[in-house]
This record gives sequence, structure tokens and C-alpha cells, in this order.
Amino acid sequence: MTLLDVSDIHTYYGESHILEGVSLEIDEGEVVALLGRNGVGKTTTMRSILQLTPPVEGTITFDGEELVGKDTYEVAEAGIGWIPEERRMFTRLSVEENIRAAVPDSQRVPEALETAYETFPILKERSDQRAGDLSGGQQQMLAIARGLVGDNDLLLVDEPSEGLAPQIVTDVGRALMDAAEEIPILLVEQKLGLALDLADRFYVMDHGQIIDEGETSAVSTDDERLRRYLSA
Amino acid sequence: MIPTVDPLFVGDVLDLLTSPGDVSSVLIEGFAKASLYLMIASGLTLIFGLMDVINFAHGAFTMYGAYIAAGLMLGLVTASMGWATVMLVFLFVLVVVFALLAALGTIFEVTLVRKLYEYPPIYQILLTFGITITMEQFMRMIVEFRDINNGQWNLDWASPRRQTLPSELGDSELLFVEFTNLQLFEILLGVLTAVGIWAFLNRTRYGLFVRAGVEDEEMAKALGINVQRTFTVVFAVGSGIAGAAGVVLMWDPLWSVSVPLALDVLLPAFVIVIVGGLGSFKGTVVASLLVGMIDALGTWAFTTGVIEFTGLEELMIFSILVVMLILQPRGLFGVEGQGDHG
Amino acid sequence: MSADAAHQYEPDSWPVQYLQDHAIHIAVVLVFLAYPFAYDVLVDLFALTAEMILPEPDTMLMVFVLGLFAMSFDFVSGYTGYLSFGHAAFFGIGAYFVVLGYNGQLPIVPAEFPFLALLLLGAVVAALFALLVGLLAFRLSGVYFAMITLGITEIMYVISQHWDYLTPGNSDPATGTTAGGANLADFEPMIGIPFIDPLNANVHPGFGDTSILGIEFGDSVIVAYLLVGLLVLICYFLMQRIIHSPFGRVMIAIRENEERAKAIGYNVFYYKIGAFMIAAFFGAVAGALLIVIEGTASPDTTLFFLVTGFALVATIIGGLGTLAGPLFGYIFLESVNEFLTREASGGGLQPWLQEVLPESVLTATIGGITVDGAMDAFMTGHGEFYAGIIFVVFVLYVPVGMLGTLRLRLGSETVARSVSRRIGRLRADDTTGEVDTDPPAETETEAGADESD
Repeated sequence: MTLLDVSDIHTYYGESHILEGVSLEIDEGEVVALLGRNGVGKTTTMRSILQLTPPVEGTITFDGEELVGKDTYEVAEAGIGWIPEERRMFTRLSVEENIRAAVPDSQRVPEALETAYETFPILKERSDQRAGDLSGGQQQMLAIARGLVGDNDLLLVDEPSEGLAPQIVTDVGRALMDAAEEIPILLVEQKLGLALDLADRFYVMDHGQIIDEGETSAVSTDDERLRRYLSA
Repeated sequence: MIPTVDPLFVGDVLDLLTSPGDVSSVLIEGFAKASLYLMIASGLTLIFGLMDVINFAHGAFTMYGAYIAAGLMLGLVTASMGWATVMLVFLFVLVVVFALLAALGTIFEVTLVRKLYEYPPIYQILLTFGITITMEQFMRMIVEFRDINNGQWNLDWASPRRQTLPSELGDSELLFVEFTNLQLFEILLGVLTAVGIWAFLNRTRYGLFVRAGVEDEEMAKALGINVQRTFTVVFAVGSGIAGAAGVVLMWDPLWSVSVPLALDVLLPAFVIVIVGGLGSFKGTVVASLLVGMIDALGTWAFTTGVIEFTGLEELMIFSILVVMLILQPRGLFGVEGQGDHG
Repeated sequence: MSADAAHQYEPDSWPVQYLQDHAIHIAVVLVFLAYPFAYDVLVDLFALTAEMILPEPDTMLMVFVLGLFAMSFDFVSGYTGYLSFGHAAFFGIGAYFVVLGYNGQLPIVPAEFPFLALLLLGAVVAALFALLVGLLAFRLSGVYFAMITLGITEIMYVISQHWDYLTPGNSDPATGTTAGGANLADFEPMIGIPFIDPLNANVHPGFGDTSILGIEFGDSVIVAYLLVGLLVLICYFLMQRIIHSPFGRVMIAIRENEERAKAIGYNVFYYKIGAFMIAAFFGAVAGALLIVIEGTASPDTTLFFLVTGFALVATIIGGLGTLAGPLFGYIFLESVNEFLTREASGGGLQPWLQEVLPESVLTATIGGITVDGAMDAFMTGHGEFYAGIIFVVFVLYVPVGMLGTLRLRLGSETVARSVSRRIGRLRADDTTGEVDTDPPAETETEAGADESD
């Protein structure tokens, strides 16, 4: 069953036309990778879904509900979580406060904290530290934790491995794999291997458009079908 | 007179330091003044320091608070009331004024200020400055109106302190230290303000949303926080505190219930918020203490004749601002990135 | 109409082109020139109705002075984007310099030194003061810049309220000081060409000359109006020249994107301080001219925070970043004020209504007060209240101000250029009969379209 249906959206930054008719679907229970070079509109697609950069044309339905025209916080309340590029901690807030801020009014905070700390025990040890003082890997865990406690039905995960040491990337990958057991994910990831490991299906973007899609089982990391749109 | 320093200045200071009674009096006065400054500035630090909205109408809110409080107190307090009853009435008025000004703040935020969040700061200054002019003139109309109308609603705006301040809040002495009980009451209110705002910011869900929204508005929204509503609440709370400060100023002998009160309040409030550092409530508390103490010292220096310059306190307040901006533009505890825009 | 096509592109002789380029300026100057005479004529014709709507020449004199001050404020704030929130300091320096100089209280400067010399000296002093302030303040930006300039001016304001050097004798510094000592009539501000007596006139509006160059006007206010107006006009053109010079282009570049201006290789710090000094210079000239009108300087009319505040209001209503805008903003503000004044002289809404409405309406009571009383309470003398509301409306709905809006309508160029181009078009029509042939000035206009004046 289709959970998220993005249909022919056009998005602009000021005068420049970034998304030129993007359509994609995500079904219940699947992980979908969005592939493509830098600057082709992957992050903008996520921002459009979140209504941070609302599309000028096209529709986005989530769980049968139209998102275009809603406020960003309403999109979040509808059950879409965002684990953004560069993680975007509230650096002046403590680790615990970062998690608290992500808990919706309908959920109980203590249970949410427990969930987060169970998944990432290191966060419990550092719960009183300022999030800005955490290492990059710990910040990524906190960002994922914020997504997990948000009572979300879909996670938009943008470049989770960016700037992390290989060992940490493995941890983060495992955490996402666990999360994917319960929550569908739309994933943007430069490390093709990681993306294909995690995802069931993929879309390839170029110049603001979807130009290819398929099952990840049908491709490999050095497939020419993917490579020519990924490496410069 | 220009500030001339008495040759015996050093001797006078030594006298002060060797007289524990005087030192304590100056300290108490300093704390009392710091409390008033904190009440004046803390509404502004929420709105300006955290939300980055430069609110020039802040002083006008305090002025309205003072007028409304004066009217209510003169109407409610009778000569036969005991001091405890008067204090209860005062607290009641404090709550009423807070609620009224918070409501007014909400209306302003929703109808006017909200449109300006995305504009350069000069437009925020302009809009709120226009609101100040309008509010001041409106109050002047009302005040002058009772003169014209044969005194039908005649209120003596200078008298609320004289008529409603219980004598129990007057001069007092403990051991060898002289002070007034009003000063102690002000210190109590100042501490309550500091604790209350600290708790609001750090112990409530709204406080958490405010701090999150201030640091990264997009991320806060994407986590489901209604940042817009949060800012409305903060604006309301800030306006309410501004009004409540006016209630306290009504009783203090150094301030008066008058239209110019708006500006008298506004400028020191800005100084304190900037000296403390934009975005830091801790900074506002420390800066209030600093300015309050220096103000008290200035008063002491003048009354003892060490320095013969009547505008000394004001002079020092603005000097602190200028020196701070030269040495450490971000203030004592300022946060990177706040207030730089434009 | 047999002229060949090349004829229409033959450049005009420069005086013609110059007149064409400045057509709007000339028109506006002519309107201002004719105003005091037209005012008398209209008041004769329409009595109280005209008095109600039109500001008095007296008021216009004040508009010139405050308008010049607001222009100088706009010069730095509107064109570099640095909000000079303590601009009243320069106004105050100009004003106090004239008064103190005239009363012989300044070191070196002899008593009763010529007014124009004091005006210039004061302006130079203000510019030097701006240099000092600028060295400190331009290390900051945004709100911090606004606050440090405000702080410095507030310090001056507090000192001026309490420093008895400013007011010799036993008078209270807070109430101010008068040029010419006890007798205001002793103050003789001469405007004209120095050392040539016939080319000078005493512009004291109360006791000044009533004629210029032997032309009798019968009213010292008109003489003051014309000569003060001339000085303001000169100041306007000087500032306008600077803004259209390469220096001005850098100022605008700083406003639009300071980092880029820096990257191109301009030392923006020097340009900002330069602009600040120039603004201070003209702000002080305005302060000196205030003394011409008022005869006195007091802390509240010169150094007070609200002096800057109202310059800001006038600038926004007229158009931030349009040099002439603040003057028109002030005309608007002062007209609203005068419209709501109580005095019969000059007229206003209330005297007019009192004449027009029947007695029964005026004395009718609503909720315990008479209609006349209500007007007294809620309208008359409360111009600032309505000005405040108008101002808020401007900020919200006309943020670029009157001139700014006009400029947008004309296609984001200066009003003067647009008028010049239109005239050029009309003249081309006359000689060739062709429509829409643009004179060569067009290309120049395109190149400079981003500028403002």
C-alpha cells in the first residue's frame, strides 16, 4: 500500500527551478534510496516533502492526506521524521533536551527517553552534556534517536554517513537497519554500498528529475546503470 | 556641573569601605535596584534576546502596566486596610496587569509583529517604535481627558505611591543597617522573577521549544514544534512581565507613573540586555546586578557629595553600554550569531 | 519633419541636456519657491479651508531644517545600511556650536563670529566627532552598531541636561540656552555671501530682514524661508552628487552586500566612516539652522533620542534610501501635526469644524462630554497619535515609502532620470514625429538603474 506519493512536484529556490517534476512512491515497510550526484535535488525533494521549501506545483499525499499547503510542524505531526544532513543538533541544548524536543505531545517523555537510550546507550551516559560537545558519530546517533522517538511512520534520512569514520558508519548503518524493521525510510546516501545494503528499491535523480528506478537486488555497486549518474 | 571628583574622594571611599553599615545599605539598595532592572529587562530579553525581535514598544508596555496598576490600586485600596490586605491587593493587581498586558502582547504579535519576523531588523525597530508613539499619545489623551472633563474621572497619577504604599514598607533598621522594607520586597520580587523565568525556560516544555526554536527554527518545526505559536507565547509572557514591572515601579520612589516612563524604562532595558549578551538570560541577570550596583554607588556618591552631578546614574548606565560594546560586543554571555544581522 | 534620422541622436548642447536631466528638481524647487506666496493667495481665497489643509510657511521652515537632518540620517542609514541611531548627536553639535559660538563661550572663536562661519565650523567639528565615533562603532554591525551610536548620544544628552557650561548664569541646563544671550533679538544670523553686505540677509524669523537684494517681501519669515531653503537645497545637491559619484556606488554596494564589496577590493571601513562623517556634517548644518528658527538649543530639541526617532519616521514615510524622501516625509508629518493643532493661526481641523458645524452639534453631549470637548481630548494636539498610526501602516504596507513607491512605479530608477527620459522622448517626438525613440540618455539610465537618489 502506498504510504507516500509524491506526484510531479516543481520546486524553486527564488528564481531557480530546482525540482522539475519529481514523482516517487514509498510503500509501507520499505526502504527507498534516492541516488544521484550532489546538487541534483535530493535534499530539496526532502525539504519539499517537509514543506520547508514548498513545491509550487504537484501533490504530495501521505497516508491519504495532502501535505502541500500544510505547515512544516503539521507534516511532522502527521508522522514524517527528518534526520537531516549535517545532523542539525540544538547545540546549546543538552542531549536529553534534544530528545525531549522531538517527543510529540501525544507521547510520554520517559518512555521515549528509554527507547532512545536503549538504542544508543552512549547517549544515556552523555545525557546532560551539551549536544554541541558530542562527536560527529554521537551527534548522528542523537539525530537518529530524535527520529525514532517522534512516533513517526516515515523517516527522511539525508546523508547519514557523511563525515563519519568507517567504524562509526557501520554502527550508524546498523542502527538504521534496526529502525527500518519498524519504520519505512527514504534514504539519501552517497556511499552506494551502504545505500544498496539498506534499501529495497532505488530512484536515481539527475537535474531535478527522476531518471531511473528499480529494485536494489537487480543492481550492484559497479553497475554502469548507476555509476554514470553518480560519479562525476 | 561636569563630573568633578572631590579631592577627598579616596578618603570618602575608604570611609564607605570601613563602615559596614553604609556598605550594607548601598548593597541592599543595589540589590533592590538590580531587581527592578531585572524586571524591566527580562521581558525584553525574552523577546529581543531570544526571538531576535527588537521591541521598542517594551517601555510603553511597562508604562501601561504602571497606569493600570495605579488606577486599580487607587480604586481598591482604602485607608482602613491593614498592610497585609494591601499586599494581597497588590499581588492581585500584579496578576491582573500581567494577564492584561500578556493579552495585549498576544494581539500585537498576531496582528503586527508576526508579519515582520522575516524583515530586516530596521523594520522591527520601526514598527515597534510606531506602536510606542501611538501608545504614548493614546495614554496622554486619556490622562489629559480627565483634566478636561471637569475631573469626573480624576485620578492623581502621582499619588498611587503616596496613597497606597503601606507605611510598613517604609524605613527600617536592623542592627546598624538602614534600608526600607520596600527594598526588601523588591529584592524578593526580583529573585522570584529570575527563578520564574529560569524555570519557564529550563523546566517547561514551552521553554524547551523556545530554546530549540531560537537555535534552529527549521529543525524545530521538522520535529513537530509549532514555532509560531511558541513565539506568540513568549511574546505574551514578555509583555506580561513588562507590565508587571510597571506595577512594581508604581510603588518605587525613584520612578513615577507618567507617560515618559516608557522611554525611561526602554533605554536601560536595552542596555542591560546587550551588556548581558543577546540570547542569554543568565547574562541579563548578571547585567542587572552590575547596573543596579553601579546605580546604587552613583546615588551614594551623589548624596554624600563625592561627585556633584545629578545625572550620574544615567551617565554610568550608558557608559557601561558603550564600554561593553567596545571591549566585548557580544556582551558578558552573548551567544554567537544573535543580533548580527542587518 | 524632414530631418534625417541622425538628427534626433545629435547630442543636445549641455545646458539643455542639464536642464532636461534636472527637470523634476527644477519643478520641485519652483513649487517650493512659490509656496509662501501661493499660501497667502490661497488663504485669501479660501480662508480657513486653505489654512486647515496647507502647512504655514513657518511650519515649512521647520520642515526644511528637520528634513535636512532626516536626509543626512538617510544618507548614512539608507545608503550604507548602518542605522545611525544616535544621529541626534550631530544635530546637537551643530546647534550648540552656533549658540555657544555666538555667546562667545567657545575657545579661540571670537564672540559674534559670523553665523555661516559657525555653521561650517560646527559641521566640521561634527564630522571629526563622527570620525572618532566611527572608529569605535564601525567595528560592529547590525543592532550593535545602532546601540553604540545611541549609547554615545545618550551620554551626551545626559551631560547636556546637567552641564552648566552650556547655560551660563543660573539657568537650568535642561531647559536650554539662547543665542544672543538674554535678548533673542541680539542674535543676527546672516545668510549670504560673506563680506558683501548687500548679498546678506538676517534670517531671524522674528526680527530678521524683510527684504533680499532690495526686494521687499514685507515678512521676515519669507526671507528666512527662501534663504534657509536655499541652504538646504545646496546641501541636498551636494549629498546627491556624492551618492551618484563612485563613492556613493560603494556605499550602496556595502548596503547590498558588504562581503562582496570587500571581496572586490574596497576598504569598506574607510567608506563607511567617510559616509558617516559626511552625514554628520550635514546633520550639524541642520542643527545650526534649527538655531536660526528657534533661537535656542535645549537637550530635548537637539540631542534627545526622539529627535533621531522622528527623523527615522520621516525617512520611512518618505522612503529609506531616497535622499529627497525624508523631506517629503517631514512635510507629511508636520502637516498632520498642524492639521490637528488647536491654534487658530495656521488653522487646523478643529477651528475649521468649529466654524463649519452648527453650535448645536458642537455643544451636543455624548456620554457626558460635548463634541467640542471630545475633539479637544482626542484629536487636537494629538497629531503624533495619528502620525504614529499612519507610520505603522506605512511600515506594514508601504515599506519603501512615498518616493520609493513612486520609483518602483517608474521602474526602479530615480524619479529625476525617469522625468528626464520622458521629456527627452517628448522633444524627440516634436522634431521627428516618431513615437518611442529614446534619446541616448537611455543607455546611461539603464546602466545606473540600480542607483537611487
